[in-house]
Amino acid sequence: MAGDSYPENSFEFFNDVIEWVSDFLDQLDKPLNLELKLIYMNTSSVKAMMDIFDLLEAAHLKGRAVSVNWYYDPRNERVIELAEEFKEDCTFSFMIIPDEK
Amino acid sequence: MQDLDLLSIREQFNKEQILLCFNGPITRSLIEEIGNALKNYLQANDAEPSAAMDVFGTYIEMTQNIRHYATSKGYTEIEGAATIVVARHDSTHYAILAGNIVEKEDAQLLSQRVEALASMDKAELKAAYKQQLRKPRDQSATTGAGLGLLDIARKSSKPLNANLVDTENGKTLFSLLAIV
Repeated sequence: MAGDSYPENSFEFFNDVIEWVSDFLDQLDKPLNLELKLIYMNTSSVKAMMDIFDLLEAAHLKGRAVSVNWYYDPRNERVIELAEEFKEDCTFSFMIIPDEK
Repeated sequence: MQDLDLLSIREQFNKEQILLCFNGPITRSLIEEIGNALKNYLQANDAEPSAAMDVFGTYIEMTQNIRHYATSKGYTEIEGAATIVVARHDSTHYAILAGNIVEKEDAQLLSQRVEALASMDKAELKAAYKQQLRKPRDQSATTGAGLGLLDIARKSSKPLNANLVDTENGKTLFSLLAIV
């Protein structure tokens, strides 16, 4: 997932992604790695994103291999702060990586 | 309209360093269009990327709050109209002022909520934000996550300021000023 996210009804917007992640974790036993390059998120997108990370966290606690790589533009520290706050609630591998491109 | 003194409006805009001003019914696509214009202005103004994102984020949360409120009250487009002003505050800060018509009783509640937020420090605001984030979603609510005002308060460099003015038709113009 990449870019800005600020739909009015984020739950509706993210529902398909949440379902996909949930089904993937339930039905397969492959590792799941999320590659993120999200920049701005409104608060309802943050809430929906937290639902996704909660699914990953629950799977991780059951021994599943899950990880997140969140790439950010080093010129914008707000993205690091956003990613760091999500990371605080996660015990799986959550990398916040400067994207030098 | 002939009496409208455009020069004085223009001079006032210049004096207050207003970047953007909007008044009228606000739709989902308008929020996006104005938001894009705002991003361009900020870029042209050489705003730091983090400052530009704070201004944009504050604008988005304020306008989406207004839309959610109007929807929840079943307001018409005209009743749900928003007045938005974005101005330079000083060399590193911006002021975002947004207002809409609300029911009198809601105006009091909103004002109390803003006052409560204005009295909290950054750590308290973060704790309250995280607590709200963890609250189960109200399945019937098609609106936001109840985080908008908290998010605006967290982005602000000064305490939030709410203002209430009663209108002739028994409602209240609620406005919120954030300095980010």
